[in-house]
Amino acid sequence: MIEQLKTKLNEIENNYTTKLQNCASLKELQDLQVEALGRKGALTELLKSLKDLSLEEKKAFGPLSNEAKNKLTALFEEKAATLEIEEINKTLNETDIDLTLPSYPFEKGKRHPLEIAKKRMTDILKGLGFVWAQGPLVEDEYHNFDALNIPPHHPARDMQDTFFIKNTQKKDFVLRTHTSGVQIRTMQKQKPPIRIIAPGRVFRKDALDATHSPVFNQIEGLYIDKNVSLADLKRDLTLFMQGLFGPKAQVRFRSSFFPFTEPSVEVDVKCVFCEGKDQNCPVCKGSGWKEMLGAGIVHPNVLRNCGIDPEIYSGYAFGMGVERLAMFSLNIKDIRNFYDNDVRILEQF
Amino acid sequence: MKILYSWLKDFIDIDLTASELEKHFTSLGMEVEEITKIGADFDDIYAAKIVKINPHPNADKLHLVDLETKDGTLRVVCGAKNIEEGQIVPLARVGARLGKEYLKPAVIRGVASEGMLCSSKELGLTAEASGIMLLDKNTPIGTNIKELYGKPDIIFDLELTPNRPDLMSHLGVARELSVLLNIPLKNKEIKHIEGSGNSLEVNILTDESGCQRYNGRIIRNVKNCPSPKWLAERLQAMDVNPKNAIVDITNYVLYEIGHPLHAFDLNHLKEGKINVRWASEGEEFLGLDGVKRTLNPQNLVIADGQKPVALAGIIGGENDSILPETKDIFLEAAYFYPPCINKTSKKMAISTESSQRFERGVDIENCTKAMDLATKLIVEICGGEVFKVNDVYPKPYIPQAVSFTPKDIEKILGMQIEEQKLKDIFSHLGKLEISAEKWLFTPPTHRRDLNHKWDLAEEAARFIGFDALTGKEDSSYAHLYFAENPKNVDIENILIDKLIGQGFFECKNYDFVSQKEIETFGFETKNCLEIQNPLAQGMEFLRPNLLMSLLKNIHHNQNFSRDNLRLFESGKTFNLQKGYPVENFAISGVLTGKTPTQKFFLNPQCSYGIFGLKGIVETLLSDYEIKLVPSQKAPVYMHPKICMDIMLDNKVIGILGQVHPLTLKAFDVKNEVWAFEFNLKNLEKHFDAQTFKKAKEVSNLPTSERDLSFIIDKTIPYAKVQQVLSSVEAKYNLIDLYQGSNLAEGKKSMTLHFEFTAKEKTLTDKEVNAAMENILTILKEQLGASLR
Repeated sequence: MIEQLKTKLNEIENNYTTKLQNCASLKELQDLQVEALGRKGALTELLKSLKDLSLEEKKAFGPLSNEAKNKLTALFEEKAATLEIEEINKTLNETDIDLTLPSYPFEKGKRHPLEIAKKRMTDILKGLGFVWAQGPLVEDEYHNFDALNIPPHHPARDMQDTFFIKNTQKKDFVLRTHTSGVQIRTMQKQKPPIRIIAPGRVFRKDALDATHSPVFNQIEGLYIDKNVSLADLKRDLTLFMQGLFGPKAQVRFRSSFFPFTEPSVEVDVKCVFCEGKDQNCPVCKGSGWKEMLGAGIVHPNVLRNCGIDPEIYSGYAFGMGVERLAMFSLNIKDIRNFYDNDVRILEQF
Repeated sequence: MKILYSWLKDFIDIDLTASELEKHFTSLGMEVEEITKIGADFDDIYAAKIVKINPHPNADKLHLVDLETKDGTLRVVCGAKNIEEGQIVPLARVGARLGKEYLKPAVIRGVASEGMLCSSKELGLTAEASGIMLLDKNTPIGTNIKELYGKPDIIFDLELTPNRPDLMSHLGVARELSVLLNIPLKNKEIKHIEGSGNSLEVNILTDESGCQRYNGRIIRNVKNCPSPKWLAERLQAMDVNPKNAIVDITNYVLYEIGHPLHAFDLNHLKEGKINVRWASEGEEFLGLDGVKRTLNPQNLVIADGQKPVALAGIIGGENDSILPETKDIFLEAAYFYPPCINKTSKKMAISTESSQRFERGVDIENCTKAMDLATKLIVEICGGEVFKVNDVYPKPYIPQAVSFTPKDIEKILGMQIEEQKLKDIFSHLGKLEISAEKWLFTPPTHRRDLNHKWDLAEEAARFIGFDALTGKEDSSYAHLYFAENPKNVDIENILIDKLIGQGFFECKNYDFVSQKEIETFGFETKNCLEIQNPLAQGMEFLRPNLLMSLLKNIHHNQNFSRDNLRLFESGKTFNLQKGYPVENFAISGVLTGKTPTQKFFLNPQCSYGIFGLKGIVETLLSDYEIKLVPSQKAPVYMHPKICMDIMLDNKVIGILGQVHPLTLKAFDVKNEVWAFEFNLKNLEKHFDAQTFKKAKEVSNLPTSERDLSFIIDKTIPYAKVQQVLSSVEAKYNLIDLYQGSNLAEGKKSMTLHFEFTAKEKTLTDKEVNAAMENILTILKEQLGASLR
């Protein structure tokens, strides 16, 4: 009797083990599980015949039937998990969608290209320890000219065409022609050491064309301390240019003239596009160098005008145009593009 | 300033290429704007006549051209299209030189060519050419083409800085190269010509702020004539048209040694004297340029016994100018105070080669030399009897010596320089005396710009070369600096980043606006800053707000079918308060058109509306405790009913709302525009880069949610509901608003969604219900609400 039952148990186990492996869907598997292990299932039916067994026989057969039940249950669960994954993947794989349709258009906002360039420059200078300083755009002639060693009726005053303000009480307000007035204001307020940058708008009465704009942005730097020399200027500007153009950037000084610096230099940077190798380079025009800024050692008269003794302190100053740099860095050919605010240009950056 | 290479070589023996010279000029501080090669750089090219043009047997596009030359006919192969029989053309025969090339015998497609017809490009006369150069029909056969053009030469166009008037001549530039290259100058001595017989009486009637030296000399019985070729050619290279020898010589001296001269017709000078004086008020003067000017006592004039004959140092008079038939002349060489010349030149808007030199400062010691050089040339070219120079020079100029030490130079430049090198430079530049403790440098009279050790440091750096400057190893840095931004910069950057995240494009506009734009916006021009000398019409004022610029940007973009826009600008606004200019940092933004979506998605496109705008501004300023309050009186450029004040600390810091349709019409903007603008100033006291917000703990307990619908009078604004519920601790928001047929007349229904968060233990239903009861009671009692 018991041997017969054992054989039957084996048959059930083998039969359903095979069957469940062949199930193709969860539904089919569930039905099969009911058929095998359900209340009226094959295994349950078999166990019903246990009542005819002796106690000893029951003891021997009970664990066997439980083992078979557990084994089958585990197999059903395992198969169910596999089938579930298959079915989910099948559903997903049946998804019909054209992913190349245009996206839902979230608004894209953009920083103005000039500000992108300006931020890059001021970030580097901040890293070199320069503090951002500010001053008015409508400046008096003293801060814009006289204090900077540009006396009235001196040709240097004509180097920059100036806008004058009409209806003020004091007659001598102008739109600042450079941000250098900020240097004066800082030196009047603060004793050395001074290490500032003055980024901002300046105004010159230049006719509007592809390379001239009556409004443009400058960044000026000023460093006053003991023993500041032209070599310090060269080192700091080299660091700045390396920040902008990479570790290989080189600077070149050329003699120049500004009333507020002595010695004065023009600073060129080795052309980052052709490295001086292309005779037809559109950026450096074959010269290998790109004019970037004016600089020099602060003129002793300027220091004296601000109550700083030039025998004790010395300093350097530099000033550069943001537009000029932005134009060749961003490949903008016409300076007016910066002020047209045409979305077709703005959205590119 | 143009420099002719061959002219430069009159003063210094150099044999440098154009690019070598360019390098020297550049490093010395003279920027080279243009290099022009002129003249004929070829040999043995002669004029020939085309006798016959025959086809080439082996090539359709080539011809066999028979030419008549001074020694018989010959045949060349030529492919040019512009040739015709009878033309006179330049012919290069085998062996002729074209630049560096010598013409070799050639066989072209099986036919020997005995030479080449040249284009102007091949001759190096022009940069481009479209065919063979055609000579004048009357050019004799055999003419050496080289003779039709000058010798090969190079013109450098130098941009000079205003501190260096001494470079505004060939001698000046040669002097500079002489120091750099350590090559002595030649031909700089000018022999003094004594003359006999007295000059005119000369009176300087001004102090030092007018005229500081005046030299005058009479030359009688000159035979004025056209200038000789060499002189005319040099002036032409300077872009000056030769007139007559006397006038040309004065110009020549200016370009050669840098001192402007003026020549008068002696017989037109009244009363035999020269008065250098201030003009009297209203005095009239007719210049050589044919313009009559009214003068005032700020203008320095050269006058005869009666009237001005020249505007000193700037322009001569029409009536006393030198004509081809002039016989007797009076020559002037003077020194005028630079600011005086600058002032008049600027005021009168005349800038001449003469005024440009005087206003920068010529060499006062050069007056007599310039006079002698001109005299010598006049006598050589025009003859004449030379009189004595009358030299009025009340207070001779003595250059101030500068004392310095090599250490000073080293300190300024940050590099060590060999003492011998410094000695060479400064003894070459001027007079150098060396004593044990210091060096004493006396600059030459033409270098008034050398006044202190900083100036000398620049000279040292220029002549040694800035490339020798290397970044110092031992840093000068005594301090490290903490580079903090000004508050407004940080605030601005944060706000700008948010706006960009909200899909706004940043714009940058000029600060200039027109009177019309200001008036359209309802600002009074008397409160706005006006520019005395605007660049153009429509750019007279500085903008009192940023919005007017953004409306122009919308207009520009809508021309390119960009109708859906979000734009902002951050910048300064200007106004006049109590006669003084006031500037404010502001940010303004505009929304126009539809919200972005694709039509095939279900999301409908909608216009932004006031509530979209409010949301943007609230998000933008969420770090500040702002309040948005309906404006009592909207500005005239805004919708009178759809405009709100942005309040902070009970002050209005800005506005938001819909732009008035008439404002849009004035700016030619098609669609509705929603705008905001506020000042940054009041935000500053609530911002501190060093202070971070402190975190508040959040509860881990579940929240309870309830909705409440109630009916109130239509006239009660939502702000009133918020006000009465201000003591309620629950968070809530409006989820439904209904006014319509199911409700009684004049009523509306609101549904609020409440969210209760427990602090210490989970709230029971009872507690939440009690809180809701309390809310309903408040609404009933204070707003007359009823449960819906």
